[in-house]
Amino acid sequence: MQHRIPVGAKPTTMSERSLLAAMAVAAMLCAPFGSASAFDDAKYPNLKGQWIGVRIPGGGGGGAGQPSFDPSKPWGTTQGAPLTPEYAGMFEANLAEQREGGQGTNATSTCLSPGMPMVMNAHSPMEIIVLPEITYIRVDHIRDTHRRIYTDGRAWPEQMPTGFDGYSIGQWIDSKGDGHYDLLAVETRGFRGPRSYDASGLPLHRDNESVFKERIYLDQANSNLLHDDITVFDHALTRPWTVMKTYRRNPDPRPTWIEYICADGQQLVRIDNEGYMLSADGLLMPTRKGQEPPDLRYFNKAKK
Amino acid sequence: MDHRGVIGALALVVALIATTGDAGAFDEAKYPNLKGQWRRIPVPGVVGQPGYDQTKIQGWKQEPPLTPEAAAILNASLADQAAGGQGGDPTYTCKSPGMPRIMTAYDPMEVVVTPDTVHIFIEHIHDSRRVYTDGRDWPAFIEPSFAGYSIGRWIDTKATGHYDLLAVETRGFRGPRAFDATGIPLDANNASVIKERIYVDAADPEILYDDITTIDSSLTRPWSVTKKYGREKTRQPVWEEANCAEGNGHVEIGGRGYFLSADGRLMPTKKDQPPPDLRYFKQAQAPAKR
Repeated sequence: MQHRIPVGAKPTTMSERSLLAAMAVAAMLCAPFGSASAFDDAKYPNLKGQWIGVRIPGGGGGGAGQPSFDPSKPWGTTQGAPLTPEYAGMFEANLAEQREGGQGTNATSTCLSPGMPMVMNAHSPMEIIVLPEITYIRVDHIRDTHRRIYTDGRAWPEQMPTGFDGYSIGQWIDSKGDGHYDLLAVETRGFRGPRSYDASGLPLHRDNESVFKERIYLDQANSNLLHDDITVFDHALTRPWTVMKTYRRNPDPRPTWIEYICADGQQLVRIDNEGYMLSADGLLMPTRKGQEPPDLRYFNKAKK
Repeated sequence: MDHRGVIGALALVVALIATTGDAGAFDEAKYPNLKGQWRRIPVPGVVGQPGYDQTKIQGWKQEPPLTPEAAAILNASLADQAAGGQGGDPTYTCKSPGMPRIMTAYDPMEVVVTPDTVHIFIEHIHDSRRVYTDGRDWPAFIEPSFAGYSIGRWIDTKATGHYDLLAVETRGFRGPRAFDATGIPLDANNASVIKERIYVDAADPEILYDDITTIDSSLTRPWSVTKKYGREKTRQPVWEEANCAEGNGHVEIGGRGYFLSADGRLMPTKKDQPPPDLRYFKQAQAPAKR
């Protein structure tokens, strides 16, 4: 299913857009299509290897369980998400449904992509591939996510394809003026959904007009720690919401990458907007007490 | 002794530089330029979904060298599909097509070359690959996967100082996997070995080839085909995100496939298909009479 949306103006400023446009022209002049150019990767921070999300003790899942959006706090209402009253009510209803055995508004239960910002929770290990024009972020969780962060100086396209991961434009910054980039500033737009912040179902607005700003950088004291400061602008929030993610580099230079095929062994199915479980023998089961079976009106007669 | 000391010191320096904590130089010009968006080139007259051999229509017209057992599996798959089922195509429930079907490139493909790994991204179901080119040997244990574990080697066939061929071998599978949507099967033992030679056309750098040879117990001999991809001419190609589970109208219950109707309700895929067994519900309802 493909959708395209026009791009709004906020919150990129006019001067930023002019700068991006100028950079785009410069990039086009410098990078003729079809030819490989030299890449001085020493100018970029070394982000190679396998990054694993750091669970903060007392934070998401108490250091265990599924990670939360703000890793310093347990998931659920204790995240302190500045939700509007409408979305706070939606979230409460979702939690009540989950307590009864349902999945609530956690869309990933049926193998929908986690999308942004949930993908940066790094439910599975993360790889970052830095090339001059694009930085890729690979996380193999539900979808084989490979976020593309365009760093070729492009401006926002007039029409962009919508996605759960969104469309990301980044800029490498040499914040210390020492000739080496140490910060990747990213803005991401162009979403579709439904998306939530984490598996508790904490919702983003259904209008999918979220904008994310990220600052990705290595820890100054420990180059095996990576930070991602994420600020969310979303109509389900009363104000922008900022959290800091931290990832630790696996010291194994040849780490194992596990393929995560959500549909392989998936035990949840969604029929007529109701979630059901598949039992060990493959038969349909209710997920909560008193749940009605699915409507079988399209079958002629019961044959077994 | 002095030499050994110097060599030892150099080895230590190299080892320190090559740890995960240090960036090394990447001479991009040594590698072929594979940037951009690659699309499978359609072959005139080959209709329907693409096959493993893209020059032939999928199914038996592919002329797969199947063993008698595998031929029977394909025939059963085709019969089931003719009756409305999904046969032996595991991807309808969003399972990865796996190798070698991934390289059919149902959707556009990106090939990202780094010194240690070639990443192949395909927006389809779950089709991305890593091809390790860091000189590693086969690990003692491979975690099985649909994409498999790929080790590649860059080769400078013309001795010009520039690599022009990526030779890849892939092992370590899980399944079920099929060569195409008709369900041409790979053996359930998942012991396939797939060898590839990936290279840009010598006369036209906008054409990419992948010579694939599949060695599998379902085949009477290795089966080789050549895949051909063309590079999109736009500088900033559009990458449409694919999420298989989004709007997927198929669901599998008790090993049987069903449709979800436009109103979300369960439907049969075949004439007179029975409804699913609802024994785990307290009030199993009788199907409505129409």
